[in-house]
Amino acid sequence: MKPVIDPKLCKGCNICVYICPKKCYSKGTEILEAGYFTAVVSAAEKCYNHNREGKLVCELCIMSCPDQAITWHEETEEEKKK
Amino acid sequence: MELFEFYRKDRWPHVFCPGCGNGTVMNCFHRAFSELDMKLDRTAFVGGIGCSSRIPLYINSDALHTTHGRAIAFATGLKLAKPELKIVVFTGDGDLGAIGGNHFINGCRRNVDMTVICINNNIYGMTGGQASITTPHEFQSTTTPYGNKEYPFDLAEIAVAAGANYVARWTTRNVHELTRSMKSALQKKGFTFVEVVSQCPTNFGRRNKMAEPSQMLEWFKESSVRRDKSRTAAVDHVDLNLEGKITIGEFVVRNRECYEELIGVGKHG
Amino acid sequence: MKIAPGEYFLQGNEACVEGALASGLRFFAGYPITPSTEIAEKLSQRLKGSDGVFLQMEDEIACISAVIGASWGGVKSMTATSGPGFSLMQEAVGYAAMSETPIVVVNVMRGGPSTGQPTRASQGDVMQTKYGSHGDYQVIAFAPASVQEMFDLTVECFNYSEKYRVPGFLLSDAEIGHMRGLLRIPDEVKIIDRKEKGIKRSDEAYDVPDELVRPFPVFGKGHKTMITGMTHTDTSKIEPEDVKVHQDLVIRLSEKVLRNRKDINKWELMCPGSKTMVISYGSASLGAKEVAAKDDRVGLLRLKSLWPFPEEPIAEVARNCNQILVSEMNLGMLYWEIKRVAVENGCKKVELLSKIGGDPPTPSEFRHKLREMGAI
Repeated sequence: MKPVIDPKLCKGCNICVYICPKKCYSKGTEILEAGYFTAVVSAAEKCYNHNREGKLVCELCIMSCPDQAITWHEETEEEKKK
Repeated sequence: MELFEFYRKDRWPHVFCPGCGNGTVMNCFHRAFSELDMKLDRTAFVGGIGCSSRIPLYINSDALHTTHGRAIAFATGLKLAKPELKIVVFTGDGDLGAIGGNHFINGCRRNVDMTVICINNNIYGMTGGQASITTPHEFQSTTTPYGNKEYPFDLAEIAVAAGANYVARWTTRNVHELTRSMKSALQKKGFTFVEVVSQCPTNFGRRNKMAEPSQMLEWFKESSVRRDKSRTAAVDHVDLNLEGKITIGEFVVRNRECYEELIGVGKHG
Repeated sequence: MKIAPGEYFLQGNEACVEGALASGLRFFAGYPITPSTEIAEKLSQRLKGSDGVFLQMEDEIACISAVIGASWGGVKSMTATSGPGFSLMQEAVGYAAMSETPIVVVNVMRGGPSTGQPTRASQGDVMQTKYGSHGDYQVIAFAPASVQEMFDLTVECFNYSEKYRVPGFLLSDAEIGHMRGLLRIPDEVKIIDRKEKGIKRSDEAYDVPDELVRPFPVFGKGHKTMITGMTHTDTSKIEPEDVKVHQDLVIRLSEKVLRNRKDINKWELMCPGSKTMVISYGSASLGAKEVAAKDDRVGLLRLKSLWPFPEEPIAEVARNCNQILVSEMNLGMLYWEIKRVAVENGCKKVELLSKIGGDPPTPSEFRHKLREMGAI
């Protein structure tokens, strides 16, 4: 499973960037419609849950995100190969 | 439980600041509630006044948004009138420990079955950042521009001394432990208390050189010590000389009879 | 739990307890304060097990908060106090008004201000009952003048509080609360229960239109009720910034009571055609009652309800008399409201017999004042 950030919900607090033990997130560099930098998923393949289904191992980001902006999604075939 | 089964879709998204710890606490509570397979229709939420007290208004269940500091008193009446309801109180450090102090300690003593989650952000956030009874010594706030000359309360230790059946404290950095403690608190009969030290970057962090939420979380990490490792078994008193440390962990697990059992009122738990 | 119909010799406070139990009281939270403590003590004996819950709370603010919480659990709830405790409760009174929670607060008034005279009567809290909390709101309040009325008016208090979803106040005092006398409990006591959301009945409470008094959504029945003291819409959405939402809400909170004054207000009239009328209530009216009973030159309008302010009976009296004597055990509180209504309705001479210190005005004090006024 891979994390996906909903840019409409993300307020750019960057807690995910700080808390992720594998450094899967980074601060955004593009100002979006709302007028600020949201965080981005920069290295989903480093995530503990990469290519994992069922019970997930680490959920620090999704539990910490104050705006419930992160959700788990199934990887595409291409993403699974990374 | 699905997100919008648990939360009111027509009130979403919530109004908490970017990086506010409230959202994190909500995630942990949502997870705990779901894993215990609890039912929203058999639960009622009570909040006082303050940012954390607004959480009940987002949950898809009966909610009572009361006056400042009195949530536990309202919850006592509601619980004893309808003992089959599970009551969860969301409150803050000022709401609980300052204006609500009397109801807090008597609530612990009386031991009516309810779970109180105190989100302690060391400040009065909603009103703009005034010092609270948990603002650390010498810290800045809008009412302590020369540094806070007072010393903070240790809310969890007060709950232990006052007789609560379950007391735990975690920070918003300990999401998994916090979820586990919430589950223990929800399952235990009697007055159960979970304190969460949480970040308010907007009105606390910003004035104390921690404007970024990640800076506040780092401060929590550096200041946390496990309570069972910092206190000997023989010594169990409030030690304000812990000097800037936040003791975390499960503080006490008791089995005192809850008030409903003592007066012989209907179903509970 | 309720005592059987019949005749009893009881203390005023005890009669109040019987009235509350007859109304279906199931939750009481109290704090000891003279001269109301007997109500708490008596209820601690009567509310046990499945009869209901009695709680002694840590302070009066906790009492009234618990009473409001219990009401949302769907039960009739009450607290009893006196001046100093009543002052503490004011914030929560406003909350009960704003959240439209039916509760009953008994205030056995004592000498004030402050700690004052714990064991002596006064009527010093009558304006506070309506204006004690901040903001605009209406309440209902009754003033008993006998042991019987401590029962009857407690029942009325519950009934109207339930019917209009408004806090109800029983304004007794140390004399009425502690006096002993005859209580007759009839075979049938008329009870009104709140109009509950999702439940169909056809009775008085349900006759009140929904636009004025919304059906009460009891907690724990799946209504997903949201109750707050902040300005809110019909669907409980918090909108503190919105002018129209605030106006709609606060005006409705007043209108639902004011439009139903005729239903709520109660009074007793003796010798209504007299040229001199005494207007009084509670203990202050006892002496006047004796005078009016023996002398038909003087009549008495004894107000049994004080809020919503009973404009109509006072206006009627003012139109038909030459002068009015108001008697209160305070330095003049309802006097100004009564005078306003009287002058508007053609009676310009409105005098005050005010007595503080604890003793109700005696018949001879009334006669002395009435002689001064040329009435007798």
